[in-house]
Amino acid sequence: MITAARNYLVFLRRCARIAFVGDWRYYAWMGALTVVALFGLNAYAKQLVHGLAVTGMSDEVSWGVYIANFTFLVGVAAAAVMMVIPVYIYDNEELHDLVIFGELLAVAAIIMCLAFVTVDLGRPDRFWHLIPGLGQMNFPRSMLSWDVLVLNGYLLLNVHICGYLLYCRYQSKKPAKWFYIPFVFTAILWAVSIHTVTAFLYVGLGGRPFWNASIVGPRFLASAFTAGPAIIILALQIIRHFTNYRITDKALLTLRSIVQVSMIINVFLLVCEVFKEFYSGTTHGASAKYLFFGLHGHHALVPWIWTAITFNLIAMVILLLPVSRGLKYLNVACGLSIVGIWIEKGMGLVIPGFIPTPLGAIVDYVPSLNETLVCLGIWAFGLLCYTIFLRMSVPILQGRLSKANEGRPEIQGDEPLAPLSAHTPH
Amino acid sequence: MENRPPAPSGRNGALTNYWLGGLTAGFLALAALFVVKAGGHPVARAVIPLVDPKFLATTPWRQTYADLVKAKEDLSDYDCYGCHDKNKPPPIRYDANHKIIVPQEHSDIVMGHGSHDRNNLCFNCHNEQNLLTLQVRDGREVSFDNIPPLCGSCHGPTYRDWENGAHGRTSGYWNRSLGDFQRLSCANCHNPHAPRIPTREPAPGPHQLHPNPETHEPAEAAP
Amino acid sequence: MSPSFPPPDKSSDAAMSRRNFLRGCAAFGGLTALAASLAPLREMGEMGDYTSKEQFLQKYYKELTPEDMTKVIARIEGEVQRQYGLRPHVRDLKPMDGVEFVYCLNLTRCIGCRKCVHACVAENNQSRNPEIQYIRVLKMPHGSMDVEKGDHTYDAKQVPEKGFFYMPVQCQQCKNPPCVKVCPVNATWQEKDGITVIDYDWCIGCRYCEAACPYWARRFNFTKPEIPRERINPNMAYLGNRPRKQGVMEKCHFCIQRTRAGRYPACLEVCPVGARKFGNILDPDSEVSYILREKRVFIQLKEEMGTSPRFFYYFDK
Repeated sequence: MITAARNYLVFLRRCARIAFVGDWRYYAWMGALTVVALFGLNAYAKQLVHGLAVTGMSDEVSWGVYIANFTFLVGVAAAAVMMVIPVYIYDNEELHDLVIFGELLAVAAIIMCLAFVTVDLGRPDRFWHLIPGLGQMNFPRSMLSWDVLVLNGYLLLNVHICGYLLYCRYQSKKPAKWFYIPFVFTAILWAVSIHTVTAFLYVGLGGRPFWNASIVGPRFLASAFTAGPAIIILALQIIRHFTNYRITDKALLTLRSIVQVSMIINVFLLVCEVFKEFYSGTTHGASAKYLFFGLHGHHALVPWIWTAITFNLIAMVILLLPVSRGLKYLNVACGLSIVGIWIEKGMGLVIPGFIPTPLGAIVDYVPSLNETLVCLGIWAFGLLCYTIFLRMSVPILQGRLSKANEGRPEIQGDEPLAPLSAHTPH
Repeated sequence: MENRPPAPSGRNGALTNYWLGGLTAGFLALAALFVVKAGGHPVARAVIPLVDPKFLATTPWRQTYADLVKAKEDLSDYDCYGCHDKNKPPPIRYDANHKIIVPQEHSDIVMGHGSHDRNNLCFNCHNEQNLLTLQVRDGREVSFDNIPPLCGSCHGPTYRDWENGAHGRTSGYWNRSLGDFQRLSCANCHNPHAPRIPTREPAPGPHQLHPNPETHEPAEAAP
Repeated sequence: MSPSFPPPDKSSDAAMSRRNFLRGCAAFGGLTALAASLAPLREMGEMGDYTSKEQFLQKYYKELTPEDMTKVIARIEGEVQRQYGLRPHVRDLKPMDGVEFVYCLNLTRCIGCRKCVHACVAENNQSRNPEIQYIRVLKMPHGSMDVEKGDHTYDAKQVPEKGFFYMPVQCQQCKNPPCVKVCPVNATWQEKDGITVIDYDWCIGCRYCEAACPYWARRFNFTKPEIPRERINPNMAYLGNRPRKQGVMEKCHFCIQRTRAGRYPACLEVCPVGARKFGNILDPDSEVSYILREKRVFIQLKEEMGTSPRFFYYFDK
């Protein structure tokens, strides 16, 4: 027992160590992310002192880019399962080892989600009011309390699965199926639930006709299953470029077909929504009118949404053509769909829900500089986390960081022949 | 030696060292920037003048005879027989269009009661025989400090609403067991000679948190 | 699987310790920058009002014992005195038995003078800058109840203007309030007398209720409220008009500090045309009972939302 605890602590210590070790490119990247994250933290400190007045939000538009990013990232987290499903349900060998990278992305995304919700709170010091038992949780009536539960649950599930599989690999042990397979299948269902619950957060509000539509849930899932795997496709190529970890093109193309199908469904659902809002011509279409064409001289969101639609359509066309079997085109399509969906879910869904207000006032929302810095800071922090997770997991999966080599010289990151410098000319 | 770590070597190793040094310097510079730029309010806010207390006044905009009696104020305006002769009803003159000609002594009165100048006979309300009282068409005399029955003789539904507190303001205590209530009289709001409530200046409208969201920027640019 | 390393050279130890030293420097620099990035928090005491320990640990309203409440009220009175230099009278007024409040507003009479807006601000200690107002008066074209046609910022020299009617909107005190349903921490709830209240010391400021309200009745303290000393109303209630903190929600509570003491709300008292009517709907002799019994048409705003407001708009003719 004591040995087991000692081994685990050594594992944690070695993982922590390696997070701070790498070659100059690693330090440059981590340094840059740290600087951006600190700018964000500094901006958040100002927000804590002066209140949310330092953002562009107001009583008219009371949620802004914080909640928009939160919504997008819940989708990214949920989409991690799009790699898990082929592996565990269809036994896809190509993706088998890559699942961990997807789940680690989910963990990083959930961390960002929680950060975005926290910075949106007026009284973060009172977070404990949400903790069941200690505070008052309005469960099951409030969808927000559901969201808190499912997000934290999803975080725990993924931390458990990744942590357990990595620790087994570190010990060169075969993982016990009963100790992770049930969690994997739970996580698959859970992933769908986190994004559905997040959609219900909006759908449940009768006073906001733009959100109060049953199509929001399916649209959320479709767009998440487009953007999530697209991010993973790009991330895997970056991992492949900077380490000598083996990732086949076949694995990337499996993900491509997921992005392809999801994007078609996503665009189809968008068409359904646009038809309903505009053809019926009811006054409830005011938000959609504001979003797509502007209302009474206010056009703040019009360039955004048309950019998103253009990007999504181009991405869909590329994905449908055989050229997207080539990585160059695939990457362009992935990039376009990530940006397109980020806009569509943020500026395109959260903000127009508030405009016009339930009393018909039209007040534009533009994020302030301070607010933007906080957002960039959280993204940088999330990337920092994901980089660290990869920095720990790649050597473990490669067998370079294992119990067997405990006590042997530790990895420095820039030693010759080391993976991180594999592509550097000497 | 088994445990000797491998040496960082070559160009890569030197670059790593330079970057670590650079990062240290960069972080310290950033720290200095944060400390210097810590103060100040990051949002410029427009000045909003406090609302004029006249908009907070709860006193009715007209005072009635009853109010004057209660406040023991000058009642000389109501001393009709200071000018008029008792037992001699004042004559009422009309112009060619059958519009009432208000005598110079009453030039403060603007007649505007009822549409089409229908209600243009002073003695529809005033008591021809006794100018110190008012008179309902059925002959009842009404004193100046209790006019609702007179107004109600024509405005039946409104009178009923008023009696039930649904027309005009009732203030004080809704819970009559805890305190008194005050019900305003007709003439507190309506000028009997021109009962339509005149227009008035509205109190200031709302101010937005960010008056111009498009250009909303912190006054002090964040570093 | 252990990778093979090149044989160590003589300078290796020195190089290693130099490397470790540089790593340590970078880590130190990073930590310094981390600490420095929090420098704005030094202003916390004067600017934001984050909390004393008692306030951080304060219990939920419904869990406060009478002794707790006495202490909490003493704390609030002390805070107000420190901040505004006058001793307020804070009470925890409970709903009365057999009372359910209803508000009726006569759209035929309202002239859009906005006096109610400012009387409410004065009575309820709302922030003057940034401005928080519970009542929004809409200038509506004749013939339509579609709020999207309403003008919020009309700036006429004289009101009422020809061709328009005026519709003040405030919290409708719904029987089926969406804001209460969505609050994740039960910081807002409906009381026995029909008033939906907020525990300002429990709200976490997520603004979900603000998104849920179909009447745009809720307001958020985006920064520390600013009230001039001379305009503080010292007659306060815990669930009513005591000064709020930065980062919490507030809204119309039918002037709980007045109405639970039997008086009419401030917006009614200031109305120059008697368009506002308030009372106990369970009392058949109350003005509001009379109105709902006798008037042909009265409107619950956005009735289709199923919120069932306790605020009725009616017409004379």
